[in-house]
Amino acid sequence: MIKTAIHKIYVILGKENKGDLEQLSRTLSGLFSYVNMTSNLYLVAGNLPESMPQVERIQKDVIKFLRENLFARLYLHFVHAIPQTTVKGIDYYFQYYYQYLKRETREFDQEGYVYQEVPRFMLLPVIVPGNRLEPALLITLLDTLKGDFMLPCLYLDRSVFFLAQDKDLMARTEKVYYGNDDSREPAAIACNMFNGDLLNDSLEMLTSEDRFVPGPCQASLIISAQDGKVYTCLDAFRKNQSLTDIYKSNSVDALMTLYYEHGGSKRDCLECRARVPESFADLPISQRRKQRIGALLCHFGTLYHDAGDDIQAVEKYEQSLKLSLVQEAGHINFRLGLGYTNIGRFDQAVKAFNNAELTYQSQYYFHFYKGRCYFEMGDYQAALSEFLQALHLKPQQEDLVKILIYAGSCHNSLGEYEEAAVVLEKAEKASGHVKEIYNALGFSYFQLKNYDKAIEKLLMAVEIDPCSAVDYASLGANYREKGDFDKAIVMYEKALALDPDMILASENLERLKKRI
Amino acid sequence: MNILLIEINPFASATTPISLGYIAAYLKSNGFGVKILAVGEDMSLSCSGFHELINSFKPALVGLTAYQRTMLYVKGFAGLIKSIDNNIKIIIGGPQATFMPSSSFAVLADIDYICRSSGEVTLLRIARAVDSGTPFSDLLGVSYKDSDGAVYDTPEIEAFTDLDQYSSPYLNDVFDYSCMREAIMLTSRGCPHHCIYCYTPQAFKHKITFHSVDRVIEEIKWISKKGVKRLWFADPNISFKPERLIELLDRILSENLKFEMWMQTRADLVTKELMKKMKQAGVKTIAFGLESASEQVLTKLGKHLAVEKVAQAIRMAQQQKIDVELFTIFGLPYESFDDAVKTLEFVKKNNVKIMGNTNSQQMQIYFGTHLAGHYKDYNIRPLNTDRPAYISIGSQYETEYIRTSELHEIQNMWRAHSLDGGKRIVS
Ligand code: B12
Ligand code: SF4
Ligand code: SF4
Repeated sequence: MIKTAIHKIYVILGKENKGDLEQLSRTLSGLFSYVNMTSNLYLVAGNLPESMPQVERIQKDVIKFLRENLFARLYLHFVHAIPQTTVKGIDYYFQYYYQYLKRETREFDQEGYVYQEVPRFMLLPVIVPGNRLEPALLITLLDTLKGDFMLPCLYLDRSVFFLAQDKDLMARTEKVYYGNDDSREPAAIACNMFNGDLLNDSLEMLTSEDRFVPGPCQASLIISAQDGKVYTCLDAFRKNQSLTDIYKSNSVDALMTLYYEHGGSKRDCLECRARVPESFADLPISQRRKQRIGALLCHFGTLYHDAGDDIQAVEKYEQSLKLSLVQEAGHINFRLGLGYTNIGRFDQAVKAFNNAELTYQSQYYFHFYKGRCYFEMGDYQAALSEFLQALHLKPQQEDLVKILIYAGSCHNSLGEYEEAAVVLEKAEKASGHVKEIYNALGFSYFQLKNYDKAIEKLLMAVEIDPCSAVDYASLGANYREKGDFDKAIVMYEKALALDPDMILASENLERLKKRI
Repeated sequence: MNILLIEINPFASATTPISLGYIAAYLKSNGFGVKILAVGEDMSLSCSGFHELINSFKPALVGLTAYQRTMLYVKGFAGLIKSIDNNIKIIIGGPQATFMPSSSFAVLADIDYICRSSGEVTLLRIARAVDSGTPFSDLLGVSYKDSDGAVYDTPEIEAFTDLDQYSSPYLNDVFDYSCMREAIMLTSRGCPHHCIYCYTPQAFKHKITFHSVDRVIEEIKWISKKGVKRLWFADPNISFKPERLIELLDRILSENLKFEMWMQTRADLVTKELMKKMKQAGVKTIAFGLESASEQVLTKLGKHLAVEKVAQAIRMAQQQKIDVELFTIFGLPYESFDDAVKTLEFVKKNNVKIMGNTNSQQMQIYFGTHLAGHYKDYNIRPLNTDRPAYISIGSQYETEYIRTSELHEIQNMWRAHSLDGGKRIVS
């Protein structure tokens, strides 16, 4: 088994400090031994003029590494704001920053030409445009960058979402990242970029396998050049759980030993991945993409449900409903209904089931689940109506019995004891040995004053479950009504022996003893 | 003694390294310890991880598969290996190596051998030589550079004509099945035809050799047990002997082996009956080599195939609801821009979806092909004369009939019609 390689490194740049830069450069150069054959390095700057010395220095380190290791490929993404709004200002940026950085890497374009393949080193400027920058100017800049073999990307925060509507601009952009806030802090930008990639990763997995179980994302490191802290992934960064501090301890091997010990393995990747999609819901992305995100949220809901966490499941289904295709709404509402049922919010469950009615009305189990909600809410009439519909749709044998018992119990609760007895006798025929049937039948016959029948059924119940205090108490009541007080006393005593706190039994017993 | 075999393709997900599998199985059944490392874009591998692998497995010999497009990476790995242990011997083999000029040694500092003949028998000989401490004595089928830097070419070594004599990579369990989605089968090797752009006929001396149907079925059963559900037949012409293919398909059916299959063959080697059987047995996709839809271009390629024959084969497959892929290339000798457009029109007219392998690409001139040796005769002008010796012309050429700008235009036209962005899988 070969150990995992680091696929992505995010460096959050800060103000330049010579000593720190030395240390950062040493750390990154050391880390190159641990990066994947094809890897991505993101340098996230607040503004370029301030961070340029760091970008330049790191690029030099990368070039050295690639020259020495012909099997390695690296994509360098440098993220920075462009405050400029004039042709002159943009031109200045191009000349002094982009072209300067590009010049240093021409040898790799030449190498790519000779080997007739994509160059091993790619520069991807990720531009964070200000809201006063004319789209036309930005387009010119992107064209110039492309013409010089760079792959321009955009990072759009809320203040410039309108740019996403510009088709000409989008057609020239290699990749668009979104920030769901207005923050231009490098840390926030890095988080949003990471989030975007994490979402893409989850969506891709969903496409290739619709029942995927989320594991760690591509191995990555986040390094804050501002304070030297290193984080194993976005989740650790968000929670401020750093692995080490490169400005304090300076051995890369020690850092990586720690990494492999602590790696992504201990993180809750489902929680981390499931947090992301919703924040992308109101970004200027295509309808189709929103629907995919809706499908992903629904999948996360199902995973939470499978893990027994229906509170989370319900939240994800609710989010999913806002994004998904209308055709999917029925399925999601059905799951939502089940989720609400499991957390005891039956009124909400009924609402969700009602919204799933059109899709599921021909399924017996749908009516069964819905009926159960009404039953729990004490609306026995509505519950009964659902159970009867379920029965009409020919349920599978094992469900048939459950539905009949529920239907019988509804009749009992509605005071329709004869109907209850009929339904429950059917259940008995269908399955025989189920305690709940005999218990409910005992109740029906007691109410119908058919004590012998009631006793017969209740005896069956205690035969199946000799520890059922309630059934012994019910037997007691039937014997009492028949006038067989001795037997009644025995039964009440049994009930009390099993459940000494059963007030009903102790009161009845006392009363009987007094009567005798 | 341990031998490490590496195949690198950083541009796509790793596929079953079938040729290395054969070599590994053969070495394994001759008593050597072998490991295969298939490095695709989805694999996680760092220098440090590779170091650990070399230090723990301790190979005395490393073999690297060479394709034109991966030569830089082959060089890189070779350099890294030698930097870890300079005593490890390194051989390259595969399509780019077989006919690579020996002068390449001068610019491939870390390579000790270039494989020229069948990989299995050639590498076994080398392994034995390395094992006995005389790595450069009594070799056949290779070129090598000895410790003083002198280069030697040895005589060829005969490959087996009965392929069953090669140990099976499947039955000898040399692959990792944990992420294998599709097993590649190689039931025959070589081709007797003379297409001037193709490497296969030269590499296999215009002969075609076969595995027995029994052996293939045994392998398929094994693969089925491993839970793999798709088979990809790499044979250039699987229906070369139609009755053999029918027998194979019949056996797949009678043994109730359920697979989704991909096959490629010449369009003049299929019949309605064969297609019907293919469909029954689970063939989902069939690929034909069309190359060009211009009759006058096609006749000059040595392919001896009529365009109408391809159209017929497509219809037959479509009637059976088998998906069709068409291999096409542009920038062929004597092909004008208009000829090239004809090919795209043909594909569209015949309702073949432009995606996957149907995405067209420019012809590549590789070592060993008839064209590589005779490009001047076809008025082909290489654009970069300053190539390292181990890189062939590839796609860096113009012809008298088509200019670079037109080649780009054709490429863009295909891309514009592509349903998946234009990435071809097989070359
Ligand atoms: C089937 C096939 C594939 C299959 C399977 C390949 C395989 N065999 O592993 C798939 C779909 C995976 C494939 C992919 C590609 N292929 Co392809 N493929 C073919 C095809 C059609 C048949 C090859 C074959 O199976 N031959 C039979 C086997 C037995 O021969 P062999 O692989 O050459 O191996 C023998 C020797 O070369 C030697 N050997 C092989 N490897 C090694 C390694 C060592 C260390 C040693 C010592 C010996 C050795 O021993 C083997 C047994 O004797 C040929 C074209 C053709 N008509 O032949 C193209 C061909 C080989 N492919 C080609 C190319 C370019 C590619 C791709 C780069 C395409 C792409 N765009 O991605 C990829 C690269 C894959 C990678 N791993 O990097 C070119 C290679 C040209 C070149 N000089 O680089 C060819 C020649 C087609 C062409 N355009 O002319 N391919
Ligand atoms: S918690 Fe898991 S999915 Fe989230 S960033 Fe970390 S490794 Fe990736
Ligand atoms: S292109 Fe196909 S038919 Fe032509 S020589 Fe190559 S393998 Fe044979």
